[in-house]
Amino acid sequence: MGVQVDTREGPPTPGTLERTPFLRDLVGNSFSLCYQCGLCTGSCRSAYAMKYTPRQVMNLLQLGRADEAVASGSGLLCTACYSCTFRCPRGVAVTDVMAAVQRLSLAENHADPHIRRFYRAFMRTIERHGRFHEVEFLIRYYAANPLRLRGQFRVGLSLLAKGKVVLKPPKMESQKAIAAMFRKAAQIEGRP
Amino acid sequence: MKYVYYPGCSSSGTSKECEESLQAAMRALGVEWTELEDWNCCGAAIATGVSYLLSVALPARNLALAERAESDLVTGCSRCFMNLIRAMHYTQRSASVREKVNTVLAETGVQYSGKARLRHLLDVVINDVGLDVVAERVTRPLEGLRVAPYYGCCQGMWTYAQFDSVEDPHCFDQLLATLGAEVVDYPLKTACCGGTLSMSRRAVGANLIGDLLAAAGDADCIVTACPLCMFNLNNFQKEAGGLKGTHFSIPVLFLTQVMGLAFGLPEKALGLQRNAVPVGGLYKRIAVAATASSGRASASGPEQEGD
Repeated sequence: MGVQVDTREGPPTPGTLERTPFLRDLVGNSFSLCYQCGLCTGSCRSAYAMKYTPRQVMNLLQLGRADEAVASGSGLLCTACYSCTFRCPRGVAVTDVMAAVQRLSLAENHADPHIRRFYRAFMRTIERHGRFHEVEFLIRYYAANPLRLRGQFRVGLSLLAKGKVVLKPPKMESQKAIAAMFRKAAQIEGRP
Repeated sequence: MKYVYYPGCSSSGTSKECEESLQAAMRALGVEWTELEDWNCCGAAIATGVSYLLSVALPARNLALAERAESDLVTGCSRCFMNLIRAMHYTQRSASVREKVNTVLAETGVQYSGKARLRHLLDVVINDVGLDVVAERVTRPLEGLRVAPYYGCCQGMWTYAQFDSVEDPHCFDQLLATLGAEVVDYPLKTACCGGTLSMSRRAVGANLIGDLLAAAGDADCIVTACPLCMFNLNNFQKEAGGLKGTHFSIPVLFLTQVMGLAFGLPEKALGLQRNAVPVGGLYKRIAVAATASSGRASASGPEQEGD
């Protein structure tokens, strides 16, 4: 598959000392700038649970071994906290690169099916209502494997008791238009 | 100042208490706004895992709506803020991203030109309202309350980059000190709470939450500036304690709940009864302390300035 990590355009730009240096990176392949200092991994709270840490993912991409990074599913442990991106002395958009790896892991079925359902259930709920609806999300998420709901009982009951469960789906005017946005985006990005 | 307010999806459900207290506290400060009409979900931390284009276009639609309303867009959710500002900068930086985003947005009949101005709630409170005005509004100082401010991660960074140090922010500390609280410093104040990992990878999420709770452990309560952090730190203390071999029971409050407490607003208006870890004890303590000190104050004359 090679190093086809992202579809974003723009030349890589090294980080500078501007106030928000991480904002300058729209670049998909900015991992090429990485000099392997490991500040990203040092900043990453979930790196301990990853097969390949963010620094290692950048390295795999540089070596043209994106397949391994994608198959590892390590991108799925990224919480998108942007600490790595902000701190990177080379201006690599680490979080966006991790997200690109994450997208491929999901699209190519490397992720645990349960995790894939998590993403699908979320996006489907937004597509239908334009806004997030927790109850519908949970139904979609757990429908295929209701036994997993056991782990959620305590929190669910607490939310119910505190009046924080809204059964009625949210309503917005442009609900249909949001679904059209989803279709258009999929068409432009060539997703099924 | 003209504002439109972006509540975000969790405002009506899992973080109802954040929304209730936010509205009450901002009313108390005299901030007026209208809700952004027909707003949509910003994509949370999930859209990036499915579609790069949607992860920019979903928040961009809200920016486009704010542009049409010709007002500053304010949000009290750090994740929403992060996605909105990300969309803002990514569309500014790349003509091609902007063009694609607008092609997607055309489906909903709006276009985004990049003129919208985005503000975080803390920014509005500190820079528009001003800490002096906040201080004037305090009727029930949080004296003796040891509060650990939890800035949160990226959210913190993207937010505070606008007006505070990114690595070592202090604006939240200043606000809490203005409310009379004793601010507890701890090393993980800008570390990530694990975001949605608490749902998708419970063991990892609970571990990260446990580290945070332990780090802030000797405070009377933790105060967050993000509804997702609020949800995580409140709801998974049992799991986190199990992993860390301890028992956590630390009240976690939203920033505007604490503001409302100091403003003397009623418990219910701040949604305090909805917090997963009960805060009744904390409330009583503050109310009792306030009554005692107002008794002292009236005994020694109401005009007396603090020393």
